[in-house]
Amino acid sequence: MIPLLILTPAILLAAIGAAWKARPVHAALLLALCLSLVGCLYVAMGAHFIGLVQFSVYVGAVAILIVFSLLITRPSDDDEEKVRRMKTGMPALACSLPLLVMLGFTMFKQSALLEAPADEPAMSLKVLGEILFTDYAPAVLAMAVLLTAVMIGAALFAREPSKKPEPPSDS
Amino acid sequence: MNPIAISLTASAILFALGLFAVLSRRNAILVLVGIELMLNAANLNFIAFWRWGGADAALSGPLFVLFSIAIAAAEAAVGLAIILMAFRHTRSNDLNRLDSLHG
Repeated sequence: MIPLLILTPAILLAAIGAAWKARPVHAALLLALCLSLVGCLYVAMGAHFIGLVQFSVYVGAVAILIVFSLLITRPSDDDEEKVRRMKTGMPALACSLPLLVMLGFTMFKQSALLEAPADEPAMSLKVLGEILFTDYAPAVLAMAVLLTAVMIGAALFAREPSKKPEPPSDS
Repeated sequence: MNPIAISLTASAILFALGLFAVLSRRNAILVLVGIELMLNAANLNFIAFWRWGGADAALSGPLFVLFSIAIAAAEAAVGLAIILMAFRHTRSNDLNRLDSLHG
């Protein structure tokens, strides 16, 4: 309970920064912080393996990929972003605030009906591996195919287009 | 306060923040940041229900999160590759400039 009370506000503060900061690199670094704090929360909840996967995939790969993409591309001007956000911020708030109220109210009401079990559910890596490669084996194979296709597709999208050789001049 | 209420409320706020980022940002990469926040909110729900839901669901929550993380990684890789390709054409990440398609 105590890690939850400490980590939850920190996660939300980092997420607010990621959603609000005008400078793109700051927003991306705050996203990395938010993702790593979510990983810590998973560990605190007893899902140690998922926390490890969160660190290695989200923080180690996705967040760093986003930071490098920002470094490769030229981010737009901060002042321009601030002016634009004044125009887009209010409609975005008008869309997300009712959703937040609805989700928060529903979840809060429903969660009051659930009683927290006294003992932490066991998450054995051996059992997880057995389930993954027996009951969920088709899903694991489908995921492997998807990731291979994504790897090839991303490489094809991101590569520099080859320049066509100029035809030799007649002169 | 019930721990599941705290984590579900936090996940709702995280989702709303992600939606706000998606709708308010004009930089394509920062829109992707918002999508990642929304995906994390969903994952947090799965783990919270597994931990405190009290159902006999074995390891369904962590397994769903495992697959969700793999799909999120794939989505980020393809999304950023498309953004890089668009950047080569328009020399900008601004979504307002991506308003025309050429065959």
